[in-house]
Amino acid sequence: MQEQLKQLKEQAMAEISKVDEKASLNEFRVKYLGKQGLLTQILRGMRDVPAEQRPVVGALVNEVRALIEEQLSAKEADFEKREMESELAKNYIDITEPAQGHERGALHPLSKVFELLIDSCVNMGFKVVEGPEVELDYYNFEALNIPKNHPSRDMQDTFFITDNILLRSQTSSVQARTMEVMKPPFKIISPGRVYRNDSDATHSPVFHQMEGLVIDENISMADLKAMLIVLMRKTFGEQTQIRFRPSFFPFTEPSVEVDVTCPSCHGEGCRLCKGTGFMELLGAGIVNPKVLEANGIDSKKYRGFAFGFGVDRVAMVKNGIADIRSMFKNDIRFLKQMK
Amino acid sequence: MKVTYNWLKDFVDIEESPEKLAQRLTNAGFEVEEMIYQNQHLHHVKVGKIEKIEKHPDADKLQICQVSLGGEHVQIITAATNIFEGAVVPVSLPGADLANGVKIQKSKLRGVESDGMFCSGEELGIDDSYIEGASVNGILILPKEFKIGEDIDVVLGLNDVIFDINITPNRPDCMSVIGIAREVCAIYGKPFKQPNFKYITVGDRASDHIAVERKSKSCSRYMAAVVKNVKIKKSPEWLRRRLFAVGIKSINNVVDLTNYVLVEMGQPLHAFDKNMIEGSTIIVRDAYDGEKISVLNHNTYTLSPSDLVIADKQKAMVIAGVIGGTNSCITDQTSSVVIEAAVFDLKSIRLTSRKIGVRTDSSARYEKGVYFGSAEQGMKRMLSLMCELEVGDIMGGIVDKFDYNPLEKVVTCSCKEIDEILGVKIAQNDIQRILNGLGIDCKIEGGMITAKIPAYREDLENAYDLAEEVIRIYGYDVYDNLSTSLFEKSKVTEGGLDDKTALERRIKNALMYNGFFEALNYSLCPPDICEKLNIQDNRRFMVKIANPIGEDISCLRTTMAHSMLSSLAYNMSVGNKQVNLFESGRTYAPKSLPLAELPSETNWVSMGSTAMDFAEFKACVLSAIEETGLRYHLVRSQEGFLHPGVSADVVDESGNVYASFGQIHPLVAKNYELPKTTMYGEINLDKLIPYKDKKFVVKPVSKFPIVERDLAVVVKEEISNADLMAAIKSACGKIFYDVKLFDIYRSQALGAGLKSMAYNIKLADENKTLTDEEVTEVIGKVLKALKFRYGASLR
Repeated sequence: MQEQLKQLKEQAMAEISKVDEKASLNEFRVKYLGKQGLLTQILRGMRDVPAEQRPVVGALVNEVRALIEEQLSAKEADFEKREMESELAKNYIDITEPAQGHERGALHPLSKVFELLIDSCVNMGFKVVEGPEVELDYYNFEALNIPKNHPSRDMQDTFFITDNILLRSQTSSVQARTMEVMKPPFKIISPGRVYRNDSDATHSPVFHQMEGLVIDENISMADLKAMLIVLMRKTFGEQTQIRFRPSFFPFTEPSVEVDVTCPSCHGEGCRLCKGTGFMELLGAGIVNPKVLEANGIDSKKYRGFAFGFGVDRVAMVKNGIADIRSMFKNDIRFLKQMK
Repeated sequence: MKVTYNWLKDFVDIEESPEKLAQRLTNAGFEVEEMIYQNQHLHHVKVGKIEKIEKHPDADKLQICQVSLGGEHVQIITAATNIFEGAVVPVSLPGADLANGVKIQKSKLRGVESDGMFCSGEELGIDDSYIEGASVNGILILPKEFKIGEDIDVVLGLNDVIFDINITPNRPDCMSVIGIAREVCAIYGKPFKQPNFKYITVGDRASDHIAVERKSKSCSRYMAAVVKNVKIKKSPEWLRRRLFAVGIKSINNVVDLTNYVLVEMGQPLHAFDKNMIEGSTIIVRDAYDGEKISVLNHNTYTLSPSDLVIADKQKAMVIAGVIGGTNSCITDQTSSVVIEAAVFDLKSIRLTSRKIGVRTDSSARYEKGVYFGSAEQGMKRMLSLMCELEVGDIMGGIVDKFDYNPLEKVVTCSCKEIDEILGVKIAQNDIQRILNGLGIDCKIEGGMITAKIPAYREDLENAYDLAEEVIRIYGYDVYDNLSTSLFEKSKVTEGGLDDKTALERRIKNALMYNGFFEALNYSLCPPDICEKLNIQDNRRFMVKIANPIGEDISCLRTTMAHSMLSSLAYNMSVGNKQVNLFESGRTYAPKSLPLAELPSETNWVSMGSTAMDFAEFKACVLSAIEETGLRYHLVRSQEGFLHPGVSADVVDESGNVYASFGQIHPLVAKNYELPKTTMYGEINLDKLIPYKDKKFVVKPVSKFPIVERDLAVVVKEEISNADLMAAIKSACGKIFYDVKLFDIYRSQALGAGLKSMAYNIKLADENKTLTDEEVTEVIGKVLKALKFRYGASLR
């Protein structure tokens, strides 16, 4: 009987290895493990086995049965797996078909640059303050030490509405408005739209500036430099350098123009910067004490710095845009490049 | 302001090259915008002598000239007619790049070789005031003494370099050669060589010949000198060439000297023909209303009392500080001259110059400000030069009328203050050296600076001004390698976005994620946009610019719609047919016209699409609105530029409108040449700011399952989805969870004017699992309610 079992085992193993479809697997199960199955038939001979040998034979029977069952389920799992694989192989889609819903759009290059500049300043403790674009002559000029009919008015071509109301020619107008309402120390930036009577490839009658103003007790030109280098590095990259050149603005003293290393050549000199390695970008300086006093801030106690610059130009430089007018055309072929 | 390298050298010894000087001036705050080399178009041009002239064999108008260049010999073909054998002429050779843009190369003219070209004065960039014969129409015939073969710039003395310098408004004293020269002295630490002010007088006193009456506050000083037995003639060569270098035409000796002093000293002067001054009295007065004067630019101007004139007893002779009249100017017959050196109010001159549209070298200086002492310096320099040129007999004394003599200004501050402003330490002896170098008499004792400010520096008033003087000469490069840390000595301040910017960003991003691209438009527009947009309300009243560039940008927009629709139309016109745009910007509503106070400015986000239908567009508008916590519903829009049947307003429960959107009105579509299906929307950002924060109260979620039922009802077309949903919600009572419209069906079988609306209704109870009976009962109530209120029937 032991011999019979051994033979059965070998026969079953040989047979199952040849099974190659799910249906035959069931036939195999019936043939060996069914009520009339071969193993069952052998078991019927158990009663002829001497009592002392029964445990040994019994164990052998269980072993053979377990082996067959194990093989059966392994085979079964294998068939299922193959079935799923062939199913997966049939079910595929063209993943390059267009997505549904809306493809995302994009912000204007100006907005992107504004966000970058504003966030950099906010992180340095600046509050964002906006002011009106249609402005009183007083805030745009007089409160900034630019009296009526003064030669320094010639620095800008202004659009006038009436004798006393104009389209602001600089976001500096927000300086005076801020000083009226905020108590030092404070740091503010004022991003916004400005207007000048000027139009060509590099000048738009409508453009954008960002003004910064810091008033505290121990402010110096060195603080201005330290702050602007952080801002310019956030804007144009970590290797950016800046330099001061003397200049004149009625509301700052000393006044400087701030040159920034060309973002294209980093100071080596290239076509973009006309070989100078630098770009003239900002106007800045220590707030003229006359401006502080005119706006009710004690110039003996407080000092401040201010800076301002054209943001359209920053966006143009950063994105290689040559003509400022293309910024206002809204051609989708231009805007799509900002995605 | 133009000054020349050689002219500066009259007042300061300069060792560095013009290029280095330009750099140093720029670094000190005097930006050299352009350097013009007088000889930049004169290379490859030599003095030649025509030795032989023959006719060209194949051309009637051409001649073949054999020309000697000293050792060398060239052949030149020319069409010029004023040449002759033996003439000394400028010859441009291959490589020359002449002032009129002509570039010379070897060429063949009708088969005969030409090695170059003879030059006219124009081709060399000079005229008669520089050298005789330069203005003739033909070749410039040079003096016989010129050395044959020499370079033309050498023989003509065209070796100066002109600096065009941008003078900032705070430095009117530097609108002169001596002003720049003083800066050069400070930069190099060199002494300033004073101009010559000496002259010899002859005969009577000036006051015996001329009287001055100063009758206007706009003139703070008026000086007059008298020169008799004047000989008006051509100026000497050196004077003509100096003026030529800075772009001033030579006229005659007297006029040229006034111009010379203007450039050199920065003091405008005027010369009168004394015999034309009625009553020998000069009256400085405000013009009479309507007073007319004919001036040297051949125009006649009508003046008003805000203009200042220099008159005699009969007539206005000069528009003060701006331009002289023809009735008293210097002519060849002039034998007696009155020289004026005056100080006028800068605002008055500026106003008059703007009003009549005349800007002269004189007005340009007066409107920047001429200091009190300048008149005297200018007058003395003028007389000294007249003496040197022997123009005539200078009468003794100068008539001088003024109302005040400014006090000497002294600024005191500490060296520490300078250091604190600059944030860098400057040694005391550097401060002293720099200030003294600038002509500021400066003493430092115990760290305290006492600075006596020279009269020409009216801009210096306090420590800040001195700090700037120190640092611009010391050099701003001191900051290049400074490593101050951020706000080292300042208080920490809280940064942050304002509410509007914060909300604007969220709304812009919502639209951007929904496929919209951000546009940027001028806030200026033409005056007729409201007609184009079918707008009937107050938005038709727009703020107008008094001095616009053009009519298309002459008004401030009162609606965002024009900008957006124009942008869409532009895209259509270039073939971009499916476009979604948004713009964030302002409108400007006047409270009254003409403006008495500032208009109210409103922040908007507008949207436009030529790609979306109403449903898609609505989803985008609402996703933007839902960035806020506004509780809203939609009502039909009354907006003029929207299609009345296919548009909506976003309103709150009180009916306040926060946004309007929909298909544009067919009339508007036609006016902008846009498709009828174009969508436009606008969101009032400012009105949404109070709702910028979404407020959440989270209720616990029921642990019992949701039960769903679908229900389709047939209703009349005019019954809205919103009404049906509201009715379903209220009929379900407290077990209502959600309802959604999932299908709308119309067919002939249903009947005309009817539609089938299919809803998916979700029900849930907080405390138990709903039974089938409960659900059926509720759905029955819903049906009853829909039937009762809207005549709905189950489909």
